[in-house]
Formats: sequence, structure tokens, C-alpha cells
Amino acid sequence: MVDLTKLRQTAKEVISREDVRELIGYRPGTYGFRARPAFVMGLDEVEQLMFTPACVNNLASYIVLEEKLPVKRGEEPDLRKVAVMVKGCDSRALVQQMEEKAYDRDRILVLGIPCRGVVDMAKVEARFPNILELGEIGLEGDKFVLSFNGNKEEVAKEELVADKCLRCRYPTPLVYDQLLDAEVERFADDDYADIEELGKRSAEDKWTYWEEKFSRCIRCFSCRNVCPMCYCEDCVLGRLQPQWMRRSVDISENTAYHIARAYHLAGRCIQCGECQRVCPVDIPLMELNRKFYKDVEELYDYEPGTNVENPPLLSTFKVEDREDFIM
Amino acid sequence: MAEKTDSDFEPNIVAFLCNWCSYAGADLAGTSRISYPSNVRVIRVMCSGRVNPLFVMNALQEGADGVLISGCHPGDCHYMHGNYYARRRFNLMRNFLEYLGVEPDRVRMSWVSASEGAKWKEVIEEVVGGIKEIGPMDQFRRRHLNW
Amino acid sequence: MAVKRLSKEKVADALGELSKFRLIAPAKSDDVVVFKQISDPAEACLDYGNSTVPPKKFAFPQTETLFRFVTGSPELEEKNVEEEGTTIIFGLRPCDARAMAIVDKLFAWDFDDPYYLKRRELTTLVGMACVEPPSVNCFCTSLGGSPFGTEGLDLLLTDMGDHYLVQALTDKGKKLEETLSSQLEGAAADDEKKAKEIAAEAEGKIRRSIATGGIPEKLPGLWENELWKKISAACLGCGICTFLCPTCHCFDIQDEVEELGEGRRCRMWDSCMFEEYTVHASGHNPRPTRKERTRNRINHKYSYYPDKFDVIACVGCGRCINLCPVNIDILDILDQVVDAS
Repeated sequence: MVDLTKLRQTAKEVISREDVRELIGYRPGTYGFRARPAFVMGLDEVEQLMFTPACVNNLASYIVLEEKLPVKRGEEPDLRKVAVMVKGCDSRALVQQMEEKAYDRDRILVLGIPCRGVVDMAKVEARFPNILELGEIGLEGDKFVLSFNGNKEEVAKEELVADKCLRCRYPTPLVYDQLLDAEVERFADDDYADIEELGKRSAEDKWTYWEEKFSRCIRCFSCRNVCPMCYCEDCVLGRLQPQWMRRSVDISENTAYHIARAYHLAGRCIQCGECQRVCPVDIPLMELNRKFYKDVEELYDYEPGTNVENPPLLSTFKVEDREDFIM
Repeated sequence: MAEKTDSDFEPNIVAFLCNWCSYAGADLAGTSRISYPSNVRVIRVMCSGRVNPLFVMNALQEGADGVLISGCHPGDCHYMHGNYYARRRFNLMRNFLEYLGVEPDRVRMSWVSASEGAKWKEVIEEVVGGIKEIGPMDQFRRRHLNW
Repeated sequence: MAVKRLSKEKVADALGELSKFRLIAPAKSDDVVVFKQISDPAEACLDYGNSTVPPKKFAFPQTETLFRFVTGSPELEEKNVEEEGTTIIFGLRPCDARAMAIVDKLFAWDFDDPYYLKRRELTTLVGMACVEPPSVNCFCTSLGGSPFGTEGLDLLLTDMGDHYLVQALTDKGKKLEETLSSQLEGAAADDEKKAKEIAAEAEGKIRRSIATGGIPEKLPGLWENELWKKISAACLGCGICTFLCPTCHCFDIQDEVEELGEGRRCRMWDSCMFEEYTVHASGHNPRPTRKERTRNRINHKYSYYPDKFDVIACVGCGRCINLCPVNIDILDILDQVVDAS
């Protein structure tokens, strides 16, 4: 468990630096067990910072989400660093963003948090419904400890942990200026069993499966906006010239949306799972992204978000790339 | 969902052909008076590497029953590497569409050089034949919503 | 109006009767509760809190064709909403019905929206009172609503255990009662009294609240206040809060060409939280960042709308709180507004 005193002390030191503009971390949410992002600009805001298994958000998205407005005449752009707290999965987003030259390494100050798993809030709220007063979640050994309304309950980790954590390959951040806890050794892997099972169904069954999911899509763009890799200013999913997918919501446009987004993440998705978490109608988006992830790994031996020096996947090729599908 | 249809079904196939090799090869087939199915609508691009995989998605949305991308053989690309990039892109896109339930025979790729007029005929016959077997594309085509 | 009973054993029968019209009821798609048209009563799922997407989409569809056009022809084929026929939305919560009544004011304001108003005319709303609040974040009572509210509804059902109490509230409601005359029975003498007790208990179960007095008047003065930057810092700029809000009603109109020479003009939901919402053709955007858009959204719901229509454009359903990916909480925002100087 992250030592909160150490975390806040580190945050104080970071935010006191002259070359740091703000620090993005986590603070308690507004109800129940929720946690939410914190944007700390001064020392007086440091006390609220925390890190627990409820801290599910990928804060790396905020590095690329921030709007870059034109600077007023006579003013200089604010080039101070942004400090950000990242878990293992989140740090891969930073690596991939830098691999794509979204920004230079010296623009960010990374406080890495080795992570042994976060909760799936839907599972928590199903198990402990109607909790309004702020509660806390801790991880002790292989049990989550939930404190709320004066009670303390222990639940086996596998019952509440997010599915993505059971497949996590990089619990310790891959890029950091400081680590806020001891490193965590890899404890899981992804064997793509569910992707393979889905892939084995007949074409008809597959389409029936996906048609049901895509029909629910309301094109809220939440999956795209939360994604740390979706930061194009003129996003293909919303362009009008040319218009790839219409604004009208029906199975054709929804399918096109998801194909286009998943394809644009091929070799770039770093498996943080946020898209699936935020979807209000529970579309299993990771089943789309992991299909590409699996293919990219098997066909091209490439894993995004692991090494800043790597060239982006689709800007490279090997002469011996597979072509058995080509006539 | 498309089922095997009767022999009246004539598929609509969109083909993206690279200007230097495949388009020339198809042209050669024409000037050589080689006869082949007329189901293919050709769109000439300068290089197979220009083809955005979203073109495939868009073609299927607009009612194409199949899409063919054809370029120069590896090593022969007029722009050196365009076809290598295309190879990676379409491998991924094809696998993904199959995963969604779009039959893999709908999205095909071929290497046809400028002198391979005869090969062009074979490619078309195979593509058209394959899609005739599967039937019309129905999964996510744009439907006239009427109201 | 006299109350009636609908025994739970007869519900399937009643739904079967109603399915002769266009019947919309809560159903499940995987584990997600959705309102959708059903033809088989077995599809209905009446054991639910509230749907993710509000039933506003049946008066105000997410995508609707306004007219169709053909090149060369000066005639436009206009959408005839009448063809959709009588629609019954069964089982919507009082907050969602109240929301429709609130949005009605806008669509009948300076221009009578023929599509929306016609649909409302053709639709009968059969509500399901909330014996338990669907969510811990419900706060309908703070905004003039109630778990047993009748505003906007034609009929209200209350779950009394082995039967539902049925109260017709409008002429449309009465008409529907007549359609269901073979399934409905007379209520027992103390049914109404019991229902009132359950209603009072239900109101007591709403745990979150905000005193809204003074907020519409205070907001204009907070335009340049720094709280908007803080509130919007975590916002992703997605459309969840707007699309899932039963009172949100912004839309875009686009033309789509379906075949060469043929097309349609359609209207679809839009969100003021999207960056493109206010982008001008020149490229200039008067609301360039999430701060301006968040400020606009709160002002629209809690200041501009009450200014024009004397009602806050929020019904306290709690969906935005439950589903915001970054836990931006309207009650937290309003607390800050109240505290701001």
C-alpha cells in the first residue's frame, strides 16, 4: 500500500518546484468508494491527495487532453512541467505518447505508483450497494479491505479486482522520475483466451454478438475522450470533411465508428481498459482492442508503450512480414 | 445475415489498384482481350500504400460485397515501400473484420504486376467466385432508413 | 379519479393488450436496462432501477429524419410522425416524465416543433413510482419532483407487493384504463392510504439534496469566477452527462446523401460538451475549452432555462453523477456555486 504521508510529502516537494505548473493525482470522490482526479496547483491542495485501489482513472489522458490555446500577444507560453501520478498501465500511455512525439520527456514529471490491482467499481457497488458516505478501499495481501459507515469488510481480491488487472504485464511504471512505492513484480499475463474463443465462433454468431453491442452505442465519444492515445485535434471519428461516419446513430455508423477507432489504436492501445470502464452501455471495448493487440504481438512482435525508442508500428515493416493472405 | 444465394447474385466489388503495377496489369488484361467477370469497379490509386484501411470499411458500408486491394510485388513498389506498409495494414484490418463477423473472403489483397494480365483474370475470378459463395454483404451496410 | 388495481399476475396480459400499440417498456440488453419497443410481454423487465438512456428518445429520437429529397424534384417528402401511431411508454420513472414536461416548454416556445409535439401527442406515459430510489444519487425532491411525482404522467403505477395501484391522471390515462378494463380491478378501500404511506417513506429515502433557492440568481454573477476552471479540470469533454440527461435537448441537423440523387435531412442529438458544438465555419470557437463548456452547461440548466421557463432544467435523476467517468458531481458543483463569492 502506498504510504500516504510519503505521497503527500513528495507532492509538496514537487508542487513547490518552480518548474512545475500543476500536479495531477487522485483524491476522494463525492460518494461511496469513488476516487477522482485531483489537479493541484498549490501546497494548500496537497492534503486531499491519496492513492488506493479505487483510483482507477488513467491520468495520462490529461497530459494530452489539455487545450493548447493561442497565447495572447506579449505573453509567453507556460512551458512548466506537468507532474502526474501514474500506475503501471497508465505509464505505458506516457511512453507511447512520447514514442509518437506528442511531447518531450522534459515536459512531464512522472510520479510512478507500482500497482497490485485496482477495483472494478461496478463490482464493488454491486457487492455493497447504496453506499453514500465516503468509504475507503485498501489492499492488504490478497484481500481488499473496505471501510464504510464504521464497518470494515474484507473481500478476496479476485472478487472485486478489475478484469484488466488479472492480465497486467507491467504493474511497475515503465517511466518515472520517482517511485512512490516498492516495485511490484509481474504477477499476471494475458493469454487472450476469450479473444480466441470469440474468434472461433461462426461469422454469423460473431456478427450477432457484435450487433447487439453496437446497437446499444449512443456515440457519446466517452471511450475516445478518456483514451490517452486518442488525442488527434481533428479526429477521424468526428470529421466532416471528409465525413467517415455520419452523426446519425444506427448500426452501420456505430460499427464504422468502432472499427475506425479500434483500427486507429492498432499498435497503440496500451491496455489501460478505461474505454470499457467508462462506456455507459457496457460495450466490451477491450475485446476489440485486445484483438488488435494480440495480432500485433503475434504478427509483428511489437508491444506498444514499452519503449520510447520504438518506432510506431505502422510506420515500419519487415520484408518478411506475413503475406499468406495475399494472392 | 447473408446466406448462400442463388446464382443470380452478382456481387459488387470495389478494387483499389496501384497505378504502376496492378492497374497496368488489369489494363493489359483488357488490351489482350482476356475475358473476366465484370463485377469489379476499379479505383486507381498511385500506390497500394495510399489505401487507407478505412476505405475498406467505407466501401462495405456503401454496399460493396467485397473489396480488393492490389499492388506491386514486394520489392517492386514504384515508391519503394508503399506496398510493405499496405501489407501490414490490411493483414490487421482483415483479421479484425473477420473477428467482427465479416467473412474473410470479402477483403482480399493481391500482388499483380504490370505484365500479369493473365494473373489479373485469375485474381478476379477467385475473388468474385468466393464472394458469390458467401452472398451479399449485409452486416453493417448503410440502409436506407426510410423513416 | 378512482384508483384501480392491476394484479401482478395480470401484468403480462396487460402488456400483451398494450403491445397492440407501439409499446415501449424497460428491457435488458445483456445486463443493461434499456427502454425499447417490445412485442412480447416476456421481454419486459419490471425489476429495475432506471434505464441508462432515458426514455426521452421516444419523444426526441437520437436520430430522426425530417424530410427526404430527390435531386431535380422540388417536392420534399416530409416525415409524417402520425405514422408512428399511438405509443405507450410503460414503466418510466416520475423524474423522466417530469423531464419531458420540462422539455415540452422549449419545443413549444417560439416555434412549435411539429415532430416532437406530435410524438408527445401520440404518446401515453405510464409511470412506475419509485418505492426505493433507483440510485443513491437521486435528488428529485430538491427540484420539485418526487419518487411518486405525477407531473407529466398520464398514469401512475405503484408497486404494493402483489399488485400495482393504478391511478389515471389525465384523459389519456383514463382512456388507457379503459383499454385495460379486463385486466384492472377496483382498488381496496385503504389502497390509496397505503400508497400515500409508501410515498412518504420513499421521499424519506432520498438521501442527497441541494437547496436550489438563489442559485439561478447567483450564477450570472459568477461568470468570471475561478471555480469553473477547477470544476472542469477533470472533464473529458465527452457527451455522457448530456446524452443521458432526461432534460438535455440539444441537437444538430445534417443532410445525408443515401444514394446519388437521394437523401434525407436528419436531426440528431448533439452535446454542448463537445468541442465541435460551437465551432464556427471560420474555425473560431467561442467556447474553446472545457471550462467554458462546463460553465455554459451549468448556466443553461440552472440559470438560463429557469429565466425563460421558470423551472430548473434538471430533475435530479442522478444519471450524470452515476455515469460521469471522472466523478464530476452536479451536487458538488452546486455546493461550490452556493459557497462561491
